[in-house]
Amino acid sequence: MSESTDSLLKDALPPVMEAAKVHLGQTFTHEFQLTRARFSPDGKLIAAAGLDKLIHVWELESGKKYTLPGHATWISALVFHPQGKQLFTADFHGTIHCWDFATPDSKPVFTITGADANITRALAITLDGATLLSGGDDRVVRLWSTKDGAKLKDLPGHTGCIFSIAVHPDGKSAASGDLFGVLKHWDLATGNCVRDLDAKALHTRKEEFIADVGGVRCITFDTTGGLMACSGLSAAESATFCPGIPLALVFDWSTGKEKQQLKLANKCDGPINALRFLADGTLAGYAENQGGTATELAFWKPDKAEPFHSFKGQSAYDLDLHPDGLRLLAPLFVSMGSGGNGARDKQKAKYVPNSSVVQVFNLFADPKPAGKLKKKS
Amino acid sequence: MTMRRFYECGSADHLISRRQALGTLAGAAVGGLGLSSLMQDAAAAEMRKKGKQVLFIWLDGGISQFESWDPKPGSPFGGPFRTIPTSVPGIHFSELVPETAKIMHKLAVVRSMCTKDPNHSTGVPRMQRGDPANRGVSYPYLGSAVTKLLGFPVNGLPPYIWIKPGSAGFIYQEAGFLGVKYGALALGDGKPPIHINRPESVTDETDAARNELRRLANARFRLDRRDSEVDAYEQSYNMAMQLMKRKELFDDSRLPAKDIERYGTHPLGRHLLQARTLLEAGVQFVKVTSYHWDTHGDNFNMSQQLIPQIDKPFAAIVNDLEDRGMLDNVIIVLMSEFGRTPTINSRLGRDHWPDAWSLVLAGAGVNRGVVVGKTTQDGAWVDGEAWDVGDLFHTIFRALGINPNKTHYNNNGQPLPIARDDCFEIDGILA
Repeated sequence: MSESTDSLLKDALPPVMEAAKVHLGQTFTHEFQLTRARFSPDGKLIAAAGLDKLIHVWELESGKKYTLPGHATWISALVFHPQGKQLFTADFHGTIHCWDFATPDSKPVFTITGADANITRALAITLDGATLLSGGDDRVVRLWSTKDGAKLKDLPGHTGCIFSIAVHPDGKSAASGDLFGVLKHWDLATGNCVRDLDAKALHTRKEEFIADVGGVRCITFDTTGGLMACSGLSAAESATFCPGIPLALVFDWSTGKEKQQLKLANKCDGPINALRFLADGTLAGYAENQGGTATELAFWKPDKAEPFHSFKGQSAYDLDLHPDGLRLLAPLFVSMGSGGNGARDKQKAKYVPNSSVVQVFNLFADPKPAGKLKKKS
Repeated sequence: MTMRRFYECGSADHLISRRQALGTLAGAAVGGLGLSSLMQDAAAAEMRKKGKQVLFIWLDGGISQFESWDPKPGSPFGGPFRTIPTSVPGIHFSELVPETAKIMHKLAVVRSMCTKDPNHSTGVPRMQRGDPANRGVSYPYLGSAVTKLLGFPVNGLPPYIWIKPGSAGFIYQEAGFLGVKYGALALGDGKPPIHINRPESVTDETDAARNELRRLANARFRLDRRDSEVDAYEQSYNMAMQLMKRKELFDDSRLPAKDIERYGTHPLGRHLLQARTLLEAGVQFVKVTSYHWDTHGDNFNMSQQLIPQIDKPFAAIVNDLEDRGMLDNVIIVLMSEFGRTPTINSRLGRDHWPDAWSLVLAGAGVNRGVVVGKTTQDGAWVDGEAWDVGDLFHTIFRALGINPNKTHYNNNGQPLPIARDDCFEIDGILA
């Protein structure tokens, strides 16, 4: 494509969102492994982060890239303020930074140290942008002011480390999920736990295991808030390779009951790391797979176990939806050839870390050749 | 359990039901009795007098050196965890081993292991046998080798006990060409042999009589037959009888609650606490194995859960042996068959890495508070002199007071080195 999708979309009538027509859009390469990626609220930027401790920002239209200085360790979560110019990132040392993301190389606006006693694994933000939620290894969901990072509330109750948090579209509730497959529904005003929901299918501990495997890796609500979906890995066969069945669960939020279990179409052994509801109620999800083997970006109707469409791709660790609802974003694994057991002496000089692409997936019919998108009159 | 061999006539006399005194016994045919002897039996007698013992801790699958004793937080391969200072200034470990960090001044860490085998199935026996050169014989595992080299202790206890998850039995295969009596008595999940308690209805006289009958039957069976499995059973019965006199070694109610808490109630913690009990009782070689360290998938979440399971009880047993005045007589080896890859795979795991990895030594004959060797800044390669497992075996034997250059096995007249003769003790380890 000689023009970016963004510029094509800008000049054309909006295409019809059709998940089954998904095709590759823009690709942003990076030399290290990235595990988190988000569109900015205005849809003009992508922020991504992961194993190299920096925050990478790309302008969607031009592809121009800049960085924010980042953290002292791997970045575990990132979320944009829905209205403002702030970006929040968290790391494996329990530190949260607030950034003015429009300014390259800027220092954090403020920093929360000890947001978690160990690893902060999840961030979410209320729809009004006033409150940041965090959770991680010390098993407490915490609420922070997005103005200055002041702590507002502790929400204790989880017995396992928290992997995921999401805010309900009504802005009054949030859900958090932990290692043991326990989902907690929180009343944000009172800080009370309203109820627990059972996602224990996403946790495995067999007798011969010496560790727990799995956890609720992602939580997302549909636009109405009537459905909540979460995902991870079920039926793990070991606590070493950790192979299992990638699984998503769909809950009726009003009753708290599980409605459907969703699986991938093709063989894959890693967790579904991320889910997103599309505007038409389709649920999109993406997993990671062993050995650099491709997996799939899957699309389900939430009441059907099998995807109605799958798009083959490399392992992914996150998924985000563009504000226009027409594009998905995922950081994907790229093997640099140093994988497998033992060294390859002849390639010693080329033993480099694996890397990533931050991949845009267009959720409409491929406009190539040029002219398929109707120009605005 | 019934056995039948091709040379048996098939009569009822030869279908003997043998009570499994020690749980499941391996049933495959083995090599010969082994007429090995040492060329320096006097040296073995001398070692026995000094009461040297070995604690061999095996983390099967490959513990990650990055997440334990050779962290590289600034490296692109380093992972997310912090480093923490140890009790020796200038030496840092991963934050996942805080208890071991506190006792670094009692330890020797080798960071420059570089071995050949990236596979479990071949790598495990290779490491535990000292990677012997191919001499056409099956070399013994370290525990069997030490039993041969130090001799059977005079206390009558089994010389080589293996505490492991899963099945129990007498693992004579580990003895290789030395002969079955040098095999390992495996305690499944650390439990005592299943028939350690004689039924109350069986008196001492009855027990003596039936044991005599058993010996006579075995002796008759041996006539004109190969004898390997009979010897294995005889050995296992003898060991069982010894342990029946020492049932207190398996009585957990005698353990202080504080000790149980310090070691942890998970299997590795319990098994290391049991190892302490056995070492205190005078068992000469104790191997403790923990499986499932092969973190190809989700390495960092798994390491958070796994590594504390060795960190806490390992520090506890080193401290306890020192407190009991035993650390100068017990050599402690903590290792896996290899380390883990610098590169992180698509499942956020690490694969096998024999090219640069770490192990820990402590105790008898070992320098304290030293790190030997280093890896490159990114942690991928050994920087400087690399050490192989043959060098490790030289080091262990030397620490036990055995000179591998002057001591050989005698396998039916064939002299065989006890450690690879193209290897040497690791520089800087031996006190």
